[in-house]
Amino acid sequence: MKEVISVALTGNPNVGKTTLFNALTGARQHVGNWPGVTVEKKMGTLEYAGATVEVTDLPGTYSLTAYSADEVIARNFIIDDRPDVVVQVVDASNLERNLYLTMQLAELGRPVIIALNMVDVAEGRGDAIDEKRLADLLAMPVIRTVGTSGEGMAELLGAVVDIARRGEKHTHTIGYGDDAEAFISDLVGILDDDPALANRYPLRWLAVRLIEGDADVRRGVSESSVADAVFAKLETIDFDEYEATFADKRYEAIGAILPQACTICVRKMTGSDMIDRVVTNKYLGIPIFLALMWGAFQLTFAVAEPFMEGIEHIFSWLGEGVAESIAPAWLASLLGDGVIGGVGGVLVFVPNIFILFLILSILEGSGYLARGAFIMDRLMYAIGLPGKSFIPMLMGFGCNVPAIMATRTIEDERDRLITILVNPFISCGARLPVYILFAGVFFGRDAGNVIFGIYVLGILVAIFSAKLFSSTVLKGESSPFIMEMPPYRIPTLKNAMLNMWEKGSTYLKKAGGIILIGSLIVWFLASFPVGVEFGSAESFAGMIGKLIEPLVAPLGLDWKMAVALIFGFVAKEIVVSSLGVLYGADEGSAALSDALLADPALSAAGALAVMVFVLLYMPCVATMAIIRKETGSWGWAGFSVVYGLVVAWFLAFLTFHAAGFFIGGP
Amino acid sequence: MSSTSCPLSLISPGTTTIITGVNAGEGLRRRLYDLGIVPNTEVTVVTRDRGSIIVSVCGCRYALSRGMAMKILVASEETDL
Repeated sequence: MKEVISVALTGNPNVGKTTLFNALTGARQHVGNWPGVTVEKKMGTLEYAGATVEVTDLPGTYSLTAYSADEVIARNFIIDDRPDVVVQVVDASNLERNLYLTMQLAELGRPVIIALNMVDVAEGRGDAIDEKRLADLLAMPVIRTVGTSGEGMAELLGAVVDIARRGEKHTHTIGYGDDAEAFISDLVGILDDDPALANRYPLRWLAVRLIEGDADVRRGVSESSVADAVFAKLETIDFDEYEATFADKRYEAIGAILPQACTICVRKMTGSDMIDRVVTNKYLGIPIFLALMWGAFQLTFAVAEPFMEGIEHIFSWLGEGVAESIAPAWLASLLGDGVIGGVGGVLVFVPNIFILFLILSILEGSGYLARGAFIMDRLMYAIGLPGKSFIPMLMGFGCNVPAIMATRTIEDERDRLITILVNPFISCGARLPVYILFAGVFFGRDAGNVIFGIYVLGILVAIFSAKLFSSTVLKGESSPFIMEMPPYRIPTLKNAMLNMWEKGSTYLKKAGGIILIGSLIVWFLASFPVGVEFGSAESFAGMIGKLIEPLVAPLGLDWKMAVALIFGFVAKEIVVSSLGVLYGADEGSAALSDALLADPALSAAGALAVMVFVLLYMPCVATMAIIRKETGSWGWAGFSVVYGLVVAWFLAFLTFHAAGFFIGGP
Repeated sequence: MSSTSCPLSLISPGTTTIITGVNAGEGLRRRLYDLGIVPNTEVTVVTRDRGSIIVSVCGCRYALSRGMAMKILVASEETDL
């Protein structure tokens, strides 16, 4: 049996933890979810000195006080899963705050190693850190690392293996003063009578948390046989006072350690402060944000175009090959029209999706996106939502499902509900292929501008809807927020690529799964009943489309679009794949874009209406399900669908007629 | 200390002052303490706008809503420290 060492990687947000995790485990990682919550759980393995090291990346936290779900996860993992070693990644340029978490980790009883990261930044600024002295004072190993260059990884792993083999527990904790210590030891005495607690928790830590009034820990203890005695003891104290005292003591301890281990560690106005003054400026902030986003879409289009053409050629070549060489004819049609027309129609947009995600990853890695959230807070404030709800909004550009899950960080129920309800208007990645297709076909060089406009429209509709909800059905005041602004950093290509791949690969998986199935269903509906011309008005698809056509005709759309829109409810990319299947019939193997351009029923104004409609019309099945789950009511999910349809129809109608007036309609 | 306190939200940008107290409920106050926003710490206001402010504490930058900044008391500017 090979030796397995489990390592938990923890640290404050924005200290380079993910970079270090990537440097350690490379591509050998997999992503799952923590049980019961939707925070991503990343794990990776590697071999070192004859041992298998399993690294679990815990969510970034400032402390272990269980203020948020992330903190509960991090803390429960260390207590319940008992990793052999806990590695805390520490931002060397920001020791004081980072060491606060260290003080809490020390109480959990697992061996802790400090990865002193970003020493280059700290020392570039004139700090001189004596890591040996720091290690002595903290009584834990301190290893210098530079995640971006991989420096210090071997030393870190060496320390991990070494400490795991020695099997030591960390016992060095800070004192909270005589009175508090007497109280702690009384409490530990009581807790010790319940073996179930004593086996599960480090008792000193448990006592400290109880004295600090930790609700989560109280729940854990309430089922114990000593619960009554514990709570009776706690009756006598003022939680608030102790909590403040303990926090003070921790900072006091840090204050005693720091000057001995770090010679300067004094902060001046940095470059980050200067940049912040500009990019969060009252007047410049929003224009800069919009300009960056606009640039991102332009770049996405320009860079992706040659790749797109290449993929398009491959699929049209495949389509021709299938049509010529495969018999019987129905099978050729199934493969050619159904699979290649449908899935191929969606795969063409892979380059765009990946490039957009790459740009967003770079913006995120540079620290700018947090400023984006801050700038938007001004808008949010005006509509009665906290800036915190902008983070889920931002995530909505990727996919609304995790975005809606992310609203769990919003404490206030009303704020949270509004944020959930307006999220589907934020244009997710699945809708992008529809825009790329229609904008590319009908607007050529202006495609990037048109798509940018669609995204802005989505944001505006979300903002107006939020305002509407908060002043009608969901009245109230928004709660205060606090958010860290990470320092600006040059993002590394490796991290941006990994991040892009993580997000982009979901798109690929979807193409092979739900979109393939959707395409086959549309092919089936377009081919039957037996004897009808494929994709004609007499097929099942045609009948369904004709039934709905009167509803979408005022938007300048025909029955084919109606069918595509219905199936788009399953996943919005299916709008494209359905059209790929339906149009595949008339044009043989010609690309979908040519077929759309040649269709007399579609105009540029109609194309705009389609984009607006697809942007707004209703959440996809997965999003609807998550709205139901997160709000706990079918009522709100249903409301979201109906509201979306009404807004979409109305705005698409306006768009169609306004565009018809300006650029010439049918 | 004889100095008067005022909410952080009233301090003008570019000013450095000292936190004198945090006037918030249990959860919120613990959160602020975790971030290093504790009494007797220096705080610098980087920017201030209608909706929110950015402050720098212990070398970290935080964006706070005005409501949150109201709960943090600091030594008022004109006080001699």
